Amino acid sequence: MPAKLFMRRRDGRIEVRLNDAGRGVIREVFAHVLAAERDPTHEWHLSLNAPINPSSDDDDPLSSLARQNEIASNAELSVMTLNEQYLNDAEAWAWLSTLQVALRSTAVVNGILSDEKLESCAPELLDDIRTMQQFLFELAACF
Amino acid sequence: MVSEVSVITERPWNVIVWNDPVTPMTVVVVVFKRIFGYSNNKCTHLMLTVHHEGRAIVWSGQRERAESYCVKLQVAGLQATVEQET
Repeated sequence: MPAKLFMRRRDGRIEVRLNDAGRGVIREVFAHVLAAERDPTHEWHLSLNAPINPSSDDDDPLSSLARQNEIASNAELSVMTLNEQYLNDAEAWAWLSTLQVALRSTAVVNGILSDEKLESCAPELLDDIRTMQQFLFELAACF
Repeated sequence: MVSEVSVITERPWNVIVWNDPVTPMTVVVVVFKRIFGYSNNKCTHLMLTVHHEGRAIVWSGQRERAESYCVKLQVAGLQATVEQET
């Protein structure tokens, strides 16, 4: 049975059991989200700013600002805790949210909107997606 | 009296979560549980509704709260929108 990548300990903390390669992947993903939130020309920027109320021409600016702040805050906390062996609940939630934002953004910018599209995408892209899904699957099991 | 009637007849706002082909099912359940505090059974039921029907109404009520929940879902990486009930 393969070792778990994340493990909830009895004291409530979540142990990160990623090796250097795994942390390298996570580092790159978190950096992408942070860059996308700050840079309007980043390829992921639009997917981070999806409509809240599609029937309205413009979303409430306060809601959009709250979203922007929270995504950036999660990404920053994730980057700051990248090398930690143990995460508290808030830090682990920031990791999960930031990873999921990255996964969805990857799918959106590559036009992966159906199972068929997912299965027919380039092997390298599919590998990236499967890796993020595995991290998310294991991290979600800690909550 | 007029304002009383308008409050009673106001249509609620729904928070909708949409299916996508990449998000793990367990992540959807965990996010629903964290944001709404629903039971495991309810979260799983809602996740399966999203998966099979393409979307699910996960919360209904006042517009401001609906938008706030929608933002929380988007921050957690789910595809979510609000719409007023027809």
